[in-house]
Amino acid sequence: MFQVATRFPNPLCRFLTPRASVLVEAVRGRKSRTDPKAKSKAGRVKVPPPVDPVEMVVLKERFTQYDLITRALRFEFKEEMLRQRYEQEVGSLAEERAKQEAEEHCALMAWNDAENLQLWKLRELRVLKGLEEEELKKTELAIQREMKMESFVKEKEQEILQLQEEAKTFITLENLDQRIEEALDNLKNYNFAIDKEGRVVKRTVLQ
Amino acid sequence: MPMKGRFPIRRTLEYLQKGEVVFKNSVKIMTVNYNTQGELSEGARKFVFFNVPQIQYKNPWVQIMMFKNMTPSPFIRFYLDDGQQVLVDTEGKDYREITQHIKKIMGKTPEVLQAEALAKMVASNPANFGPKKYCLKECMCEVEGQVPCPGVVPLPKEMTGKWRAQMRAAED
Repeated sequence: MFQVATRFPNPLCRFLTPRASVLVEAVRGRKSRTDPKAKSKAGRVKVPPPVDPVEMVVLKERFTQYDLITRALRFEFKEEMLRQRYEQEVGSLAEERAKQEAEEHCALMAWNDAENLQLWKLRELRVLKGLEEEELKKTELAIQREMKMESFVKEKEQEILQLQEEAKTFITLENLDQRIEEALDNLKNYNFAIDKEGRVVKRTVLQ
Repeated sequence: MPMKGRFPIRRTLEYLQKGEVVFKNSVKIMTVNYNTQGELSEGARKFVFFNVPQIQYKNPWVQIMMFKNMTPSPFIRFYLDDGQQVLVDTEGKDYREITQHIKKIMGKTPEVLQAEALAKMVASNPANFGPKKYCLKECMCEVEGQVPCPGVVPLPKEMTGKWRAQMRAAED
């Protein structure tokens, strides 16, 4: 209820407290414990307020009745709250609700499984397609490899044939003399120029 | 405050509060497995990027874990409190489709959400006066247009019990 009384040695405490908050009431114990009692209060004897016994009895009885009623009311309200909470969590309605929720959950799980199944089927198709494509690629690669091998073999055969034909014009020991005489008879002049395309240049006079 | 990240709107309160998925109380853990590369994981990646913050904001007590590049296909797994595990395949799906799917299976229905909001409103009645922790106002003097607190501004003489008692005594 009351704010905690703060003790300031400074009598200007009222100016130091912030405006917005409640004014600190008459600060209890302005004096410290060592300060002497005031002269006007030297012989003071504190007397409690007088009590009328009749009034006291009447008031006590009324108070007990009032207290009984308010405690009973409070208890009733608490009990009502507890019962409401109990019914919500463990009542018959709650059981029905739980059953319904379980059913709905089952249905949703079944729907989810169906969706997963559909996706699984799509994935199967995709995987099969992927495998087929891979096989196709493999076969194509094999065919290409074979073709390359064939062309390679053909080229080599061509080269061999060409070599065989050239071998007919080779100079051997038998026709060595004959070829030397032929060469000496037919003198060839290599003193000519060619352009970038390999054609012989005709303008200059062959020496 | 500078904008951080690629889509800083994901960090705004407005965006987070617009999240649609509120999980049922039985969902405890959500696990997302996805791949960082690949066309089929694109939906899952976008879901993680855009929607998981919203989901976590709306469900602060659900543990969400992300696993990257652990499996060839993306999926989401829910672990419920009774030990049941729910698998959701997300391969090839769009992030919006994934959100709708999850909302349908594991989310609270709009009716349930409404009922919860009503219950919350009933609990916090603005007509109650009490400690600041539970109520909006502690005393009528705090309400605008009412008599101010006599601790701050002294009451006019006519309103004090002392004066009234004096008047009554003077009449008698």
